Amino acid sequence: MKPTRTGWRILLLLIFFILPMACGDKPEEKAPVASGDAKTTALFEVDVLRLAGGDWGYPTPFAHYPRGPGGFKMCLLFDSLLERDEKGLIPWLAESYRIADDGLTYWFVVRRNVLWQDGRPLTADDVAFSLTYANRHAATWSYIFDTIESVTLEGEQTVCVKLKQPHAAMLDNIGRTRIIPRHIWETVDRPKEFIAPEAVVGCGPYRLTDYDKAHGTYRFEAFEKYWGPRQRVGAIEYVPVGEATLAYEKGEIDLTTLSPDVMPRFKDDPTHNIVRSPAFWGYRLLMNMEAVAGLRERSVRQALAYAIDRKELVEKIARGAAVPGRMGILPPDHVMAAQGIHFYSFDPQQAELLLEGAGFRRPDTTGLRQTGDGQPLELTLLCSSQEVRMAELLRQRLGEVGIGVKVISVDGKTRDSRVRAADYQLAILGHGGWGGDPDYLRVRFAGGSMGPNAAPSHSGLVGYNAPVLLDLLNRQQTEIDPARRRQLIGDIQRELAEQVPEIPLFYTTAYSIYRPARYDGWMFMYDHHSLPHGKLSYLTRSGVALKR
Amino acid sequence: MTLGHGKRFLEYLFTVWVIVTLNFALPRTMPGDPFLYLSADEGDEVARFSQAQQDYYQRQYGLDRPLAVQYGTYLCSLARGDMGYSIYYNQDVSRILFQRLPWTLLLVSLAVGLSSLAGCLLGSLSAYHRGRFVDRWLFPAIVAFSEIPAFLLGLVLLFTLAAGLQWFPLSGAMTHFATFEGMMGKILDIARHAALPVLTLTLVRTGGMTLLARNSMTTVLARDYVRTARAKGLHPLRILTRHTLRNAMLPIVTRIFLSLGGLVGGAILVENVFAYPGLGRLMRDAVLVHDYPMIQGIFLLVTVSVLSANFAADLVYRRLDPRIQHLESLRS
Repeated sequence: MKPTRTGWRILLLLIFFILPMACGDKPEEKAPVASGDAKTTALFEVDVLRLAGGDWGYPTPFAHYPRGPGGFKMCLLFDSLLERDEKGLIPWLAESYRIADDGLTYWFVVRRNVLWQDGRPLTADDVAFSLTYANRHAATWSYIFDTIESVTLEGEQTVCVKLKQPHAAMLDNIGRTRIIPRHIWETVDRPKEFIAPEAVVGCGPYRLTDYDKAHGTYRFEAFEKYWGPRQRVGAIEYVPVGEATLAYEKGEIDLTTLSPDVMPRFKDDPTHNIVRSPAFWGYRLLMNMEAVAGLRERSVRQALAYAIDRKELVEKIARGAAVPGRMGILPPDHVMAAQGIHFYSFDPQQAELLLEGAGFRRPDTTGLRQTGDGQPLELTLLCSSQEVRMAELLRQRLGEVGIGVKVISVDGKTRDSRVRAADYQLAILGHGGWGGDPDYLRVRFAGGSMGPNAAPSHSGLVGYNAPVLLDLLNRQQTEIDPARRRQLIGDIQRELAEQVPEIPLFYTTAYSIYRPARYDGWMFMYDHHSLPHGKLSYLTRSGVALKR
Repeated sequence: MTLGHGKRFLEYLFTVWVIVTLNFALPRTMPGDPFLYLSADEGDEVARFSQAQQDYYQRQYGLDRPLAVQYGTYLCSLARGDMGYSIYYNQDVSRILFQRLPWTLLLVSLAVGLSSLAGCLLGSLSAYHRGRFVDRWLFPAIVAFSEIPAFLLGLVLLFTLAAGLQWFPLSGAMTHFATFEGMMGKILDIARHAALPVLTLTLVRTGGMTLLARNSMTTVLARDYVRTARAKGLHPLRILTRHTLRNAMLPIVTRIFLSLGGLVGGAILVENVFAYPGLGRLMRDAVLVHDYPMIQGIFLLVTVSVLSANFAADLVYRRLDPRIQHLESLRS
């Protein structure tokens, strides 16, 4: 009978679709699984931790996606010369290091008795190879590309790195570059495309035992012959999650970030721990001083800082989960944040006085101010579609002091490219990395060009020229002495607060939630805002990882 | 091959060339480039690419070469069946597509099938009882239901059936890192995970299908041969299935195949809500990160699926309506 035949066909089609998926674990997708996987509960505080997954790429130093969750998964597999704890850099694969007075030469003494996850020993030669390789091939999360003059071995354990030019941030940059095994990578010419199973063999505390690109799942298991501090977590599994808070509530994942709106639901429940992250992700208002002559006046930029109510932005846009921007740029949680920087509290009257002083008169108390040639003072504000509410609040506040603002909303990539091409008057830009080495201030504000570094904190400042600030920024770049550099960074923040070359609007402080009874080893790295990203979050805090 | 066939083949070739060229040109007309990251989603950290690093990547992917050369390379690769290597996902585009395609196919084909079935049934019922109690309630209810956005309905189902009653899993396409008792266990697990996304898509699509079926049925029900069938005292079910539905099927079949044609983007919102590994999410992400080869690959797949669906619709149409074949044979 006809209908029956059709029914069979549909059934066959369904089987055709479902069966391949049911048998879908392709062997080439799997990472190598070493023998001796069985772990006993006694070895670890918790056997398996589950976190929100999603595909962030194959976790090699070159193939993971250029996003935080990709980079930090890769770090579980690959160690580096230095590691980051709550206060700063700590020796890791390098037992010790030394920097020459001229800031051009670095020596690292490489730790002995370190094994790769395929059982071969790690040598200083591997370290020299890794640094040379990352200098020649751009690794996604390393900043030493094309900066090193030479890498040589001195004796059996010491690696000597000579830079092309002195650079105070290079200890951080070299220190966090991943060390890869020479015997696997020396024949690889296109590292971004090298996604063989052996590409994930590192010397880190965890091995990759499962990765599924389509589903976005990863499984990391403790590497039993790890040289360093013992793992507290036997395995870390990343699983796909649609609604993260719901998944956390149902116990499908063990940690998540929490929106301020749902915080009251968990606040008084002692079985949960809610932690505020340091404010290292922020929004900034860029001012194009080449396109708008008036913005070259320091007093006008200061007026804008007074006219914008940054506390209001924190309340209305970030719903309290943020801290207002500081004109010294570095957020209050930054290890080098200076104290006593002028805050520019919301003061529209002061803003009006400064604008009057700069020659922008207001014919009536409600209309727009006028420029010297009688034109209305009106600016465009470029933002991405996600920041329209923020832009509207800015428009309202600036309108109150007589500055007209026309909001232009585009998609994020378009905004980025227009900022890059200096095709804007005012622009809102949001990104992370505010907790990083303060050399980013030099790249942001040193001159009008984009400089060798472009993103994300390197969007360049167009039309700005401040000799004093420039001199300070260049001096800190080559200052190797930590105390003197800190002093310089403090001076730079004070000068920035005086000059107001841009206005940091606010730095977000997301909230993370977890059940301490399940696992309580979480930590924040000194310069980063995510709890599960820290490698030390999964290790015992003894020996080299001792909690300071 | 006749002259007519040759002309048709050339026309088809021209269409494909236009589509392929548009596939190449469209992503490149978007402002920004794949290696420029000035901003990130809130809370997200992006890698800093220095200018030297950006130049290195541009060279590696041949994006520093003139557009004409890139275009030529793209056409040559495509002729060899090579869809390119994804800039962001670091894998062959074709491989990524074929890993994701079965999941979207599963969701969309089930949803299209179920919604068509439900739509035909409800539409027939509504048309048969036109103006009476059933129709008066069913019609506005269906219209209201079809207006609910898919993601909202998905969230409601997620909160009630998955989180509240715990009948279904919260997200994903299968349980990971678990051992199953035989193949049947795994198939059941996949079915449980697909249930809510399929239900959401089915509910969203049923409204449109019902209205279409109702209109089509209403027209056919007014025909003389239906009146004759009634006069003959045939059972209403037999009149509906044998005499009416079959003749009312033509616009419904067209709609079903058009839905299949749009399967790639069709499930995007639902895939997001349930973290389902389909092509919709892939397409959205590829556009956001300006992954040119990936965007080209997905657009090509969309084109091929639309063309194939149209072709299939054409075939089925001929079987359902013998008049078309008859007309064609008369012409030739």
